[in-house]
Amino acid sequence: MEPYEIEFIGENRIISITPNFTHDKIYLICGEFGPFRAGLPVNVPLWLAIMLKQKQKCHVIPPDWMDVEVLENIKEEEKRSRFFTKMPNEHYMVEAKLILGSAAEDVPNAPEIKTIIKDIWDIRMSKLRTSMDALMKTGGGYGRLDHLTMMEINSVKPLLPAAMDNLLRMQMKTKKTAPSLNLNSSTFSQSGSSQNT
Amino acid sequence: MESTEELQFSDDEEEVTAETVLKTLQCAWQNERLSPEILPHQNDMVECMLGQIQHMERNINKLSKTDLRTSIHKMEISRIKFIICNYLKTRLNKIEKYCIPILNQERQRIETDTNYLTPSEYKYAQEYVLNMENHMKNVVLNKMPGNMQVFEMNKMAEHPNLQTHVFLKANETINGVVLEDLTGEDEEIDLEEGSQHILQYKPIADLLKNGKVTLL
Repeated sequence: MEPYEIEFIGENRIISITPNFTHDKIYLICGEFGPFRAGLPVNVPLWLAIMLKQKQKCHVIPPDWMDVEVLENIKEEEKRSRFFTKMPNEHYMVEAKLILGSAAEDVPNAPEIKTIIKDIWDIRMSKLRTSMDALMKTGGGYGRLDHLTMMEINSVKPLLPAAMDNLLRMQMKTKKTAPSLNLNSSTFSQSGSSQNT
Repeated sequence: MESTEELQFSDDEEEVTAETVLKTLQCAWQNERLSPEILPHQNDMVECMLGQIQHMERNINKLSKTDLRTSIHKMEISRIKFIICNYLKTRLNKIEKYCIPILNQERQRIETDTNYLTPSEYKYAQEYVLNMENHMKNVVLNKMPGNMQVFEMNKMAEHPNLQTHVFLKANETINGVVLEDLTGEDEEIDLEEGSQHILQYKPIADLLKNGKVTLL
């Protein structure tokens, strides 16, 4: 999938806004939202929030996790843990990008938050690269990837499955030509433990 | 609020909310995009959503141009249309690419009434193969020596790679998924609810079609 398609899926997440207009409930196909009362928080899908923001009809209320202290803790935890930690939200990168991109003035300390989220992303990506490397070296055909978000998975998509496919093809060839020559005898148990969960 | 009354009315008739249909459709789109082979069609969902869109479009026309709702509803409709178009296009691409094996399998599936293609997709696939055959004959085969003029359909076939690796998330706990090991020792793994994995497509193909896992 293309990154914009992941973003599209992430845009369905519900976030809070404070509208500056008053309107009855709006009945959309994906659910009903409102009633909108000027100054009172209300939940809407992210795409609607961004759209209203662009029309200057609302303020976005940053999600709880979009806070310097919370994010610093996540970052420390991510650094400390050998495994991937659970992110506050499975589309954190999409949400951060869209909110910070079009409603940065509604987020206190937006520049710092941007930097920390980028740091977290970098730590996780480097962990992901290490795990992929370990997985390939053990000749694995299986890996567990808990807590990775869709965007992160998508970023390794052209590479990892293709590499595993090729590895499998080579193993099948080796097996056919020289059955005694076994490259990996304990594929799954090794890859299972070396792959971060 | 005429729009809502009509919408709710049509919902009651189908006994599922438009919201659930949309979620199912989006899930079907995501799986179809990511699976190597064609999946059972979700034509009911597509038809239902198209009906909802028509309703909505008719209602939008009744609203004044300056009404805030107009632009919001239009935006939502565009989003749903995008999913539907992309979903159908993805299926057509697969049908074109793997037309020969798909048709062969589909003929058997139709007998047991477990068809994957909608009637119009099936017709499209048949015509596509026929056109391909005629084209090959006109351009090449008819100009070949007599003993080389046979169109060998199955030699032309391209098959989806079912051994490719896919990312997936388990929607419920599934015990004892058997992974084939090349050494001949099969490995069994358990997929806990909510856990994510990368593994070969083949062992989980049926789980995907039953909705027990979602591709990522």
